[in-house]
Amino acid sequence: MTAIAVQDRKAKAAEYLELLRSLASEMEKVMQAIAHNALLDLEESVASQQIMSARLLVLADEISPSLKSNSAVSPAGADADMVQQVQAAGDALQKLNRRYAALLQHSSRSVALMSSLFSSYKGQFKEASGPRLKHQTWSCQM
Amino acid sequence: MGGLNTALLIGIGGLDAAQGALDATSNNIANVNTPGYTREEAQLSELPEYDSANQITGGGVTLDGLQSIRDELLNMQINQQTSLQNAADTESSSLQQVQTYFSSTGTDIATALSAFSSSLVELSGNSNNSAAQQGVLAAGHNLAAAFNTTANGLTSAQTAANEQVPDTVSQINALTQQIAQLNGQLAQVPAADNGGTTQDQLDQAVQQLAGLTNISVTQTNNGETITTGSGTPLVIGNQSFNLQTAAGPGGLEEVLDSNGNNITSAITGGTLGGSLSIANQVIPGFLTQLNTLASQFATAFNAAQAAGTDSNGNQGAAFFSGTGNLSNAAANISVALTSPSQIAISSDGSAGGNGNVANLSAVLTSALPSGQSPANAYAGLVFNVGTAASNASTQSTAIGDNLTQLNNLQGSVSAVNIDEETANLLRYQTAYEAASRVVSTVQVLGNAALNMGSGTSF
Amino acid sequence: MRIDPNMVPSLLEELQQSQVSLNTALQQVSTGLSVNEPSDNPTAAASMVQNTIETGDLDEYTQNVSTALLTVQSASSVLSSVVTSLTSAVSAGTEGANGTNNASDLQSLANQVQGILTSVVSAANTSVSGSYLFSGTSTNTPYTSDPASPTGYTYNGNNDTNSVAVGDQTSVQINLPGSQIFSDANNNVIGSLSSLVTALQGGDTANIESATTAVDSALNFVGQQQVFYGNAETQLNSQETFLQQDKVTLSAQATNLIGVNESTAATELSQAETDNSAALAAVAKVLPNSLLNYLSSPS
Repeated sequence: MTAIAVQDRKAKAAEYLELLRSLASEMEKVMQAIAHNALLDLEESVASQQIMSARLLVLADEISPSLKSNSAVSPAGADADMVQQVQAAGDALQKLNRRYAALLQHSSRSVALMSSLFSSYKGQFKEASGPRLKHQTWSCQM
Repeated sequence: MGGLNTALLIGIGGLDAAQGALDATSNNIANVNTPGYTREEAQLSELPEYDSANQITGGGVTLDGLQSIRDELLNMQINQQTSLQNAADTESSSLQQVQTYFSSTGTDIATALSAFSSSLVELSGNSNNSAAQQGVLAAGHNLAAAFNTTANGLTSAQTAANEQVPDTVSQINALTQQIAQLNGQLAQVPAADNGGTTQDQLDQAVQQLAGLTNISVTQTNNGETITTGSGTPLVIGNQSFNLQTAAGPGGLEEVLDSNGNNITSAITGGTLGGSLSIANQVIPGFLTQLNTLASQFATAFNAAQAAGTDSNGNQGAAFFSGTGNLSNAAANISVALTSPSQIAISSDGSAGGNGNVANLSAVLTSALPSGQSPANAYAGLVFNVGTAASNASTQSTAIGDNLTQLNNLQGSVSAVNIDEETANLLRYQTAYEAASRVVSTVQVLGNAALNMGSGTSF
Repeated sequence: MRIDPNMVPSLLEELQQSQVSLNTALQQVSTGLSVNEPSDNPTAAASMVQNTIETGDLDEYTQNVSTALLTVQSASSVLSSVVTSLTSAVSAGTEGANGTNNASDLQSLANQVQGILTSVVSAANTSVSGSYLFSGTSTNTPYTSDPASPTGYTYNGNNDTNSVAVGDQTSVQINLPGSQIFSDANNNVIGSLSSLVTALQGGDTANIESATTAVDSALNFVGQQQVFYGNAETQLNSQETFLQQDKVTLSAQATNLIGVNESTAATELSQAETDNSAALAAVAKVLPNSLLNYLSSPS
C-alpha cells in the first residue's frame, strides 16, 4: 500500500467512526420521538438515518482491503487505537439497533391496530350512540 | 379468523409468543381492507336489549363513538404491553443476577478451566516436580469449586423466582376479587355517568392485573369478563375465581385454577409469567447445560487418569467425583484425589515417564459426547446466558418506550379527526418501513467483518 | 519522530510487532474499555472463554520451551564432550597399534582410555534439574558398574522417551534413551572403550587395531545421535518465535473482543514497553522510543 492509500484509509476510518457515533445518537433520538408520538421528528430522524447508514455501507466496503492482498505483517495502515474505537462504537450501535428493532415491532403493531380501527370506521358501519357505549364489544377484521 | 376482539390478542404472553404474534400481525396489516370484511361482521353486542333511550342513528359516524373505542383499544394495548413488560422485567432482573456467575470474576468457570489447563501444560514440562503436581490438584479443586458456585447461583435464582409465585398469585386473587366487586358496583351506576369513577377504578385494577399475568378482557352486559390466556375464568360479572398454587414434584410451584387444574403453562405474561418462565424453563435450561458439561468433563478426565499410572505405581484413580447424578453434577463435583502423587502422569509405568499428561491435557481440547470441547461447551452456555439477559433487557426497554407512546396517545386527543388520524398512521407506517431498512443495514454492518488491515476481524 | 525506512528494512517486521503491542497497551490503559458482563456482548464473551484458556496455556508453553531447550542443549553439549573424549581414545588406540610400544607404554595408554571410559560413563549419567538426561523415562542412574557385565557397566534406565507440550497440538520429544546412545548393540560406546582398554592391556596389535576401529565407529554413531538434539533445538527455537507471535495475536484478539481492565492493561503496558525497548535495542544500539507510524508494507 502506498503512503497516500494509507492516509486515505485512515481518513475514511475516522469518518466511519464519526458516522457510527452519529447514527447511534440519532437512534436514541428517534426512540424518544416514537415514545412521544413526535411524528415530524420521527420522519426527519429516519431520513437522516437512511443517509448515514448508506454512507456507512459504502465506507465499510472501501476500508476493508481486498482479501487477496493480505499481508502477513500486522497493520497495513490501520491504527490500533482507531480499530478499538470503531469496535466499541460498532458494538454500542448494534445494541441500540436491537432495541430499535424491538420498539419498531411493538409500535408497528400499535399503528396497525389503530390503522385498522380507523379504516374500519370509514363510514362503513353505524353504531349506537348513548351511554355505556364503552362497554360494548365490537370487532373488525384485521 | 376472529375479529379485532381483545380476546383474540391474548395468548400474546411470553416474549417468543409475542414475537410470533407480532410477526403475524404485521403480516395482517395488508389485510386491513380485505374484501370479505362487511358491515355485518361488525358486532355490537347486546344492542337489542337496550331500552328505548338508545337511538340508532342513520348514516355517518359519531366521533364520540370512535373516540371511546379508540380509547378502549389503547387501553387493551396498554394492558397487553404492561403484561409483556412486566414479564420481561422480571426475567431481566433475574438474568442480570444469574449472569454475574458467568462473568470473568476470577472464580468463574472460564478462569478456573484456564488455570486447570495451564497446570497440566506446566506438568508436561515438569512432570517429576512436586510443585507442578500439586498445582494440578489445586487447580482441579478450584475448577470444581467454580462449578459448584455457578450451579448454586443458578439454583438460588431459580428458588427466588419460584418463591415469588405464591405471592403473586395472592395479589392476583386480591385484584380479581376487587374487580368482581367493581363489576357489581358498575351495574348500580346511573347510565348517564358513563361508568364514572367506578369505571376508572376498574380500568386501574384491570391494568394492575395485566401487569401480574396475561389476561383476556371481554366487555359484557354484566361488566368485564376476565379470563387467563387459555380461557380459565378469573372474573365473571360480580364473581371472582381464585387461583391456587401447589408445589410440584421438583419443588417448583404450579398454578392451579379454582378446580385444581394445572394451568401453569398458560401463564405466559406479567410478573407471574416471568417468574414461572425463569423458574421452570430458563434456569433449568442453563442448569442442564452446566450439569451435562460437569458430568461429561469429569467422566472424560477420569478416563484419561485411568489410562496412566501414578507416582505410586498404581493405575490412575478417578480425579473427580460427585457427578453420578446428572441433575446436580455441577453442584456436587469435587476432587476425589487426596494426594498429588495420585495424578496419573506416566503412560509406560516408569517413574520418570510423562506420557499420560498428554492424555489428561487432551481432555480439554477434545470433543465431549455432547460434541463440543469443554471450553466450547462452556462458551456456548455463556453466550446463551448473555443473550437471554440482553434480550430481556432490550425488550423491557423497548416495550417501555412503546408504553410511553400508548399512554401519551391515550391522554392526548380529545376529539378525533378520522382523516387526519388515518393520514398520520400512514406516515407512521411509511416511516417505520424506512426505519426497518435502516435496522437491516446496521445489522449487515455488524455481521460483516470490517477488516481494517489489522489481521484480526471484528 | 520518524525512522528512516531505509535504515533497517529487514528488521521492520519485528519492530512493528512490538510497536503494535505497545500502542495497544497504551490505548488500553487510556480507555480502560471492558466488557464486564456477557449481556454486554454475548458473542465476545463466548469467544473470550477460548482466548482466556489459550492465553494461559501459551505462557506455560513458553516456559516449557525454555525448560526443554535447557535439557536439549545440555544433552547436546554432553555428547559433544563425549565425541571429544572418543576422539582422544581413538588417538590412544592408534598409537597403541603402531607397534612401537613397550608394555609400560601400553599400560599407560590403557589407563588413559580407562580414564576416558570413566568420564564417558559420568557424562552419560549427567542430570539436569534433578532428572537424568539419558535414562529414558526411568529415574534410575543410567549406568552403574557391574563386574558381571562384559562391558563392566549395566544400563539401569529404560528405552522410553518423554515429550513436552510446547503448543496446542505440538509436543517435542526431548530425550533419547542412554541405551540408544551409549550401549547400542552394534555401536556400543561403553563396550568399545572397555574392549580397547582390555586390548591395550593385552598388547596384541591386531586386537588393538580392531578395538580402535570399533571406538571410531562408535564415535561416528554418537555424532549421528547428536543430530536428534540439534533438530529438537531448532524445533524449539522456531516454536518460541511462533508462541511470541501467537501471544500478540491473542492479546489483540482479546482487545478487540472486550478491551481490558486497568490492572491487566497496566501490566501489559509495562511488559510491552520492555519488549519494545528490547526490540529497538536489538535493531540498533540507540534509537528513540518513538511510535512508528505505518510504513509501507509488502502488498
